[in-house]
Order: sequence, then structure tokens, then C-alpha cells
Amino acid sequence: MEMQGKLARLKAAGMRQDIVLLLLFCLMVLAFSLVNPRFFSIRAMANILQDFSPVVLMAIGQTFVIASRGIDLSVGSVLGLAGVSMALVIRAANEAGMDPWLAIALGLAVAIGVGVVVGLVNGLLITYCRLVPFVATLATMGAAAGLSLVLTGGTQIAGAPKEVILLGNATYLGALTVPVIVVFLIIVVSWAFMSRARFGRWTYAVGSNPFAARGAGIDVESHLIKLYLLSGVLAALAGAFVYFRLGSGSPLSGRGGELNAIAATVIGGVSLLGGTGKLSGVVIGALITTAVLSGLILIGVQPNWQQIVVAALIAIAVGAQGLGAKGGR
Amino acid sequence: MTGTSPLYEVRGVGKRYGGIVALDSVDFALNAGEVVGLVGDNGAGKSTLVKVLSGAHEPDSGEIYLDGERRVWKSPHDALDAGVETLYQDSGIAPDLTVAANVFLGREILRQGFLGKLGFLDEKAMRDQAHSELERVGIAVPASDRPVARLSGGQRQAVAIGRAVAWANKVIILDEPTNHLGARQAGEVLEVIRQARAKGFGVIFISHTLPHVLEVTDRIVVLRLGRVVTDAPSSQFTPDSLLKAITGLSQT
Ligand SMILES: Nc1ncnc2c1ncn2[C@@H]1O[C@H](COP(=O)(O)OP(=O)(O)O)[C@@H](O)[C@H]1O
Ligand SMILES: [Mg+2]
Repeated sequence: MEMQGKLARLKAAGMRQDIVLLLLFCLMVLAFSLVNPRFFSIRAMANILQDFSPVVLMAIGQTFVIASRGIDLSVGSVLGLAGVSMALVIRAANEAGMDPWLAIALGLAVAIGVGVVVGLVNGLLITYCRLVPFVATLATMGAAAGLSLVLTGGTQIAGAPKEVILLGNATYLGALTVPVIVVFLIIVVSWAFMSRARFGRWTYAVGSNPFAARGAGIDVESHLIKLYLLSGVLAALAGAFVYFRLGSGSPLSGRGGELNAIAATVIGGVSLLGGTGKLSGVVIGALITTAVLSGLILIGVQPNWQQIVVAALIAIAVGAQGLGAKGGR
Repeated sequence: MTGTSPLYEVRGVGKRYGGIVALDSVDFALNAGEVVGLVGDNGAGKSTLVKVLSGAHEPDSGEIYLDGERRVWKSPHDALDAGVETLYQDSGIAPDLTVAANVFLGREILRQGFLGKLGFLDEKAMRDQAHSELERVGIAVPASDRPVARLSGGQRQAVAIGRAVAWANKVIILDEPTNHLGARQAGEVLEVIRQARAKGFGVIFISHTLPHVLEVTDRIVVLRLGRVVTDAPSSQFTPDSLLKAITGLSQT
């Protein structure tokens, strides 16, 4: 009887978290709209969805690695490196007279290749070289950011064919661009694999108790490599989508991206201790993070304040988790 | 099974950690339908031997035989596949997963058809079977969707033991399974071990609680500083002589 009551309470608490997050998001939209009615327009919503795309892609990858008791600090730099690599390849292909759609496909392959390489390096550093994820991904974060500057000389790479802008900005059903639609598909697929498939089960198991996971016959190393690889690829895809939107690649475009991704993840309820956290929460966390970033600009706050606000959000979310976890763990 | 060779055996196993010799040319054998107690002081090498037997660590030297056949474990996966189940000291379960998820960890039941090929789980089948499997081996835990972390320490340990016993088909290795358990729960664990023996499993039981060891085992192997110092039927020990064999204050 007592157990039943506890179970019910627990379920209610679990529900409450998702609902609280959604309510928080609605309140924010309302508040921003009151200050600046433009916030509540289709155009502004379309913009938010476009801003949301890279954040949620990086946050999904971040959820994979944080649930496994790791972290990926390199996602912002991978976004930037993938974007400029792609911009360089497409510009060169365009100048050589290649079919624009073929050039775009080539650029996309290069961007994803960047994500694969950095993700693989992260995974190998963590498993075979036994570096802690924080250090391994801090190193690749620096290396990828440096490489972006070297490749571009620190300048923005333009020269994209008009098809790029078309692909990134043409809207369907009012507010949906092709990248946004792809992002929605990725959200659904990731959610399904994380919550319903062996992929998620093993990810949580590795984060909850790596020794138990290994003892149960799970190849913990290959699973971790897979997770960092996916995180790298998702960040690279985010870089590609930012490039499609702007039609240019900037070595600075991913800066602070890891902060946004981690904020979305912890706001969404993923514990930095690993083993728990739902992707559904993270998607709302990414919405909240994006709305805060866009909202701040719409109500006239200097963009330079963004990182400070996001950092504060991370601190608040992790602090709130600590309070909630008391007596739990 | 050949009948002449033991069910599970290691010969001349050595394992070093840097400068520390954790195991020094250890011989160890286990027969089907036998419970062997593995005892020794802290640091004697019990857990290290368990890790060699379970495939978690490759030994630096020595050989492993299962059913008289030479085997090399590259990972715990190999040993599990061969029917050797292990409950490791203090790391048996994933606390954030449910009871069923823990029981089926690494051996998840997948759905039929295309979704199953993609790795989608049949949660209902696992929930139902986890409960009945645990019951079959004599372990009662509430079937629930709660993470195992929310169970009591005794229930958590029961899940870990039940998981090992339910999956074994030859050898069950239990590293200090009665640690942190109350008297009644420890008694239940000993009963589970007896049932496993009756079914013909070989069981290795590691414990510091000497009365438990004397009560449930057929034979006792004493490790000291990485070496086997005594290997004799349990009936030949008194609590006093066993303690002396462990501490080395006087040989039996
Ligand atoms: N992973 C390890 N790294 C270094 N030394 C270890 C490791 N595991 C065990 N040892 C050492 O090996 C010896 C045997 O340890 P262990 O097998 O845990 O003993 P027991 O389980 O009998 O208490 C001890 O000296 C211990 O300190
Ligand atoms: Mg031990």
C-alpha cells in the first residue's frame, strides 16, 4: 500500500517535470510577447525554429554522452569547423562550375566527415587513451576551433550558389524550412532509440554503472565511441544547417555552442552524473534555451550578455536538480 | 562433460598490478553440483581471481578450462556466452535502471520483425519474464518500474544475485553476495545457493562471514597474498581452524 503511494507520487513528480518545463516555456513566450509583440508572430516563430535547430541537434548529442556519464565540449567547434569546411568546398566546386546541387551534396558529405573524424577522435581518446571526457573533448574543442581559423584565415567564407540559401530558407507550411523538417525527424528518431531501443538502454546502463554494464557483456568501449561519433555528426549537421541558412561559413559561428547545448540538456533534466534523463525534456530544454536567446535580443538586451545568461541557466538547472535528487540517489 | 575433469578449472594463474602480485600461480577447480568457498583476508586476491574466472581480466599467465576444454576469455561476454555468470563485489547492477532492465541487461528481448532488427525492446516480455525468472530461483522482489536505486539494499542485492543465478547454465560466481545484508536476507541467499547446487551448477561463494561459508560450502579454498594456502573439504574446518588458515597464524 505504502509502496503504491510512493510509486504514484514518483510518477506524478516525473510528469510534473515535463509539465513544469512546458509551462515555463509558455510563460517565457508570453512575457517576451508582452514586452515586444513581434515575438509572437509567425515570422518570429520561424526564426526561433531556425535558431532552435542547431541547439537541439547539439543537445541531442550532448544527451547521449552525458547520459553515459561523459560530456562533449567540442560540439560548438565542430559546428564551426563543419560549416567552414563545407563553405570552402562548395565555393571551390561552384567556381569550378560544378552543378550546385552536386556541390551541396559534396559539401554536406565533407561536413559530416568532419563530425565523424572529431567524434571518433573523442571516442578513442576517452576509451583507448583513457582520458576523462572533459579533457579529451576540451582538447578537440581547441583543435577544431583552431583549424577553422587556419582554414579561413579568420574570415567569413561566402560564395555560395543561390541554391544554398534556397535550401536553408524556403519555408513550407508557413514556418518550416527543409533543415527544420529534418531536425524534427532527427528528434523523433533519437527519442525513439533513446527511450525504446537497446541503444538507449545501454547508454543509460553505461552511465549508471559502467562496471555492471561491462559485467553484463556490453562492449562499453564501442558503445561510448558510437555515442561520441553521433554527437560529432549531429554537431556537424548543425554546422551544415547554419551554413544553409546564412549562405556563408564563419569560423566564429560555433562559439559558445557547447554552452547552449549543455544548458538545453540540463534544463531538460539530464543529470550530469549519468544514467538518467529523457530526450523529451531535452527538446523542451532546447526550446527554452533558444527562446531565452532570441527573447533577449527582441527585448533589446545586448547580444554580449547571452553567454552570461546561458551560464546562469546551467547553474540554476544543475542546482535545481541537486535539490530534486536529495533522498533519491 | 567428461566426468574426469572438473567443470571449471584454472591452472597456474598469475596476475600483477604494477608491482603488486595479486595472484601467484593459483590452481583452482570447481565441480558440477559443488559449492566452493573462496576465503582470505582483504587483499588476498579473491576479487582478482573472480575477474580472471569471469573474463573481466586476462591473466598474465596460466590456463582456464571449462568442461576440460582450454578457454581464453577476451571479455566478460565470452564467459557469459559459455555459461559462466558472475556477481561482482559492489558493482552488480545499474541503479538507474529498473529491475527488469537489470535482469535483461546485455540480453535484452527485442521486438519481432523490423523494429526488433533496429534494436527496439519488448519491454512487456522482459517485465513479465524478469519477475517469473527471479521467482523461479527463489528471489522475491517487487516487480516495478522504479529504478533499482529506490529499492532497499537487500532487495537490490537480491536482484543482482537473481540475475546471475537465472542466467547461469554452468558456473555461478558470487563475490561477497551477503555483504550489507541482514540475517534473514543472508539466509535467503544461502538458500538460493543450495538450490543452484541441487540443479547441478558449480557455485563459487566468496564471503568474510565464516559461519555462512562453513554452512553452505562443500569445499573451501583459502587464499593468502595471492597464493592458495589451503584447499580442503569444509567438514575438515572448525570456525577456529578456518580463521587460522586465513590469517596464517597457524596452518591447518
Ligand atoms: N585494479 C587494481 N589495481 C591495482 N591493484 C589492485 C587492483 N585490484 C586489486 N589490486 C590489488 O591486488 C591485491 C588483491 O586484491 P583483491 O583481489 O581485490 O583482494 P580481495 O578481493 O581478496 O580483497 C591487493 O593488493 C589489491 O590492492
Ligand atoms: Mg574482494
